[in-house]
Amino acid sequence: MQLGKRGVAGVVILIATTGLVQPLRSQARSDVEEGRKLFAGMCVTCHGFEGKGGDAPSLNRPKLVRAPDDAALRALIADGLPERGMPRVRRLTDNEIGELASYVRSLGQTAAVTAPGNVQQGRETYTKLGCQSCHIIKGEGSSLGSELTEIGRLRGPEYLREAVVDPGARLPRGTLPIPARGFSEFLPVVVVTREGREIRGLRINEDSFTIQVRDTANQLYSFRKADLSRIEKQSGKSLMPSFSDRLSKPELDDLIAYLSSLRGAQ
Amino acid sequence: MLISTFILHGHLLAQVPYQRILRADREPGNWLTYGGSYRSQRYSQLSQINRDNVSQLKAAWVYQIRQAGIIETSPIVADSVMYMTEPPSTVTALDVRTGRPLWTYTPEIPKDVIVIGSPPVNRGVAILDDTVFAGNVNGHLTALDAKSGAVRWDVTVEDNKKGYYLTLAPLALDGKIIVGVSGAETGIRGFVDAYDPKTGSRLWRTFTVPAHGEAGSETWGQDSWKTGGGSTWLTGSFDPDLNLLYWGTGNPAPDWNGDERQGDNLYTCSVLALNPDNGKMKWYFQFTPHDVHDWDANETLVLFDAQLGGRERKLLAQTNRNGFYYVLDRETGEFLTGRPYAKQTWADGLDAKGRPIVRKGTDPSVEGNLVFPNIQGASNWPSASYSPQTKLFYQAAREMGTVYFKGEVPYKAGTAFTGGGGLAVNGDPAWGAVRALEATTGKIKWEFKLLSPGWTSLLSTAGGLVFAGTEEGNFFALDAENGKPLWDIQLGGAVRGIPISFAIDGKQYVAISAGYALFVFGL
Repeated sequence: MQLGKRGVAGVVILIATTGLVQPLRSQARSDVEEGRKLFAGMCVTCHGFEGKGGDAPSLNRPKLVRAPDDAALRALIADGLPERGMPRVRRLTDNEIGELASYVRSLGQTAAVTAPGNVQQGRETYTKLGCQSCHIIKGEGSSLGSELTEIGRLRGPEYLREAVVDPGARLPRGTLPIPARGFSEFLPVVVVTREGREIRGLRINEDSFTIQVRDTANQLYSFRKADLSRIEKQSGKSLMPSFSDRLSKPELDDLIAYLSSLRGAQ
Repeated sequence: MLISTFILHGHLLAQVPYQRILRADREPGNWLTYGGSYRSQRYSQLSQINRDNVSQLKAAWVYQIRQAGIIETSPIVADSVMYMTEPPSTVTALDVRTGRPLWTYTPEIPKDVIVIGSPPVNRGVAILDDTVFAGNVNGHLTALDAKSGAVRWDVTVEDNKKGYYLTLAPLALDGKIIVGVSGAETGIRGFVDAYDPKTGSRLWRTFTVPAHGEAGSETWGQDSWKTGGGSTWLTGSFDPDLNLLYWGTGNPAPDWNGDERQGDNLYTCSVLALNPDNGKMKWYFQFTPHDVHDWDANETLVLFDAQLGGRERKLLAQTNRNGFYYVLDRETGEFLTGRPYAKQTWADGLDAKGRPIVRKGTDPSVEGNLVFPNIQGASNWPSASYSPQTKLFYQAAREMGTVYFKGEVPYKAGTAFTGGGGLAVNGDPAWGAVRALEATTGKIKWEFKLLSPGWTSLLSTAGGLVFAGTEEGNFFALDAENGKPLWDIQLGGAVRGIPISFAIDGKQYVAISAGYALFVFGL
């Protein structure tokens, strides 16, 4: 299957010289369509359906922080952002990069309105719920959970909503250098020593012989696996409680609006 | 010792003549060729470090490399000097007693060097007589004076502008230096080369992809053979009695879109048995016909002899990247046995001739298709090991799937010609294991689980040990009989180096690279 478009480029030149503009638009549409297929395979897992965001940022906005122009967008698609957990999924041809870039740009043009809710109200809700007892925003709060200073830039609103309602549903993976690319972050673990002592907390890091854990009091433990009788990794769970029963729909909207507004130092 | 006397009083004699490499088993204190011997068993006969005392192993010295990069070197140790390579293509000689450098050689590598298909690494040197031989990522083979690092000669194996480059340790035979090339991800046409050690002139070249009209060319659609891949990027093995050189070949190009190369694509993803005198092929065996997952067959080719089918046979074994363990008769290439050693979802097994029974619907697609093993294989360049003591074949298996994508395939010399790619399902769902296989059957005798699918080579020793490492920086020793961990240390960086063992002043050591350093351990 020759998916290349040397032939198509020839058609474009022919059409351009005969002054027919309409087929050029359909050419662009076909780029977007091809880009959508590539996106569905390689990008949806992290960036979400139609780029609405997941554990990677949403892309359905006119301006992308790391890709202000087409050259930057193409470079980013080509090379990934390994330090932020975005792999170079595969080597793409220039043509495929062009199709993906066209699709990503098209998402921005049809951008959904920003999340409903009131940022100021959401900030109050955040404080009222005591979120700062586990999260840091701009240096304030405690550090058991993820830092939220720029969470609105890193995660889409749909992901944030899910994280508040069902925190264990999708733990972030591979966006921090520790534990390592692809590993679940903030993974709850229960470890039991050979003496029968039980520690519940978060896996901070791990190798084949040792594991590092912080308990709910944010106390660090380090164990040799040989000294443990049990290591239970609780995939699908979170130490963070669900707030679904404690928030009305408008309060939840406000909280998501507030979290989405947290975009770090800009 | 006999050897040191020989060196002290024998300046007129070459330092490491072919006869010494041929009989490497007679001097286990040295490590004279990439795989430890021509049989590529990566087995040390030294037993001073053993089950009973390995827990007391401690660092003797550490050497920090000069430029950050991945160290995948298998050092050579000859007569109190260690020759190792640093990324991308630097050769360094170290005093084996202290780790102090004696000389270092860094070739000129153009800034726009084309290295597509692997990181810019080097897996080691060969030594023959008084000369050290090293390939580089610019597609050159260089001969260096073993005492000083001065260049004796430097030749272009093939043009890097077309994507050819070298990462492998050359193999030194009698009057020949054998090398292969990397670069199938740019659509090169692979080959195995032999060079004159004295002059650098090429003695023969055997292509791994037949030209139009040659035997096997009917397995390539249209002109696809011209860009057919079949790299030869890892060091082969040699049987001096049969006078046969065994070399693995890599994927056909483009990797993940086989539409324009209909057919089996001989001799890619194969092992070739070559006459080292002229490069002529005696037999071949293709593991993965018409590969579309990038499952090269370059992995270590381990030679051993054993009873099989009621008689003593000369065997060749490989844990192939495609997830199957194979045992062949190395005289004839006959397939004897094969079975999966890791999770695989692409084949319903092997037929009587060893050809895979491929499951439908396992090819890459535009939307992506999840298949095991992963895009880098259930094994890859890291060395397997075979212990004549336990008769076990040791391999670190990579348990991971990949969502394989098919893409478009425009060819432009010196650029990626891959036709797709993959998204490996890494992190918590993926894992690895050091496995011990019964060498003649491939049945798993024991395994030691690893947190993630690593890039660890294995070393087995007469001390009843298997040494291995992890991506998380652990280096450790297992009991070769049952896989029980006996010693481990955290080295602070992924273990990608290839372990060896040697002895100096009557003491055994084990060398391994991790992160940006080479570590040497002793009792």
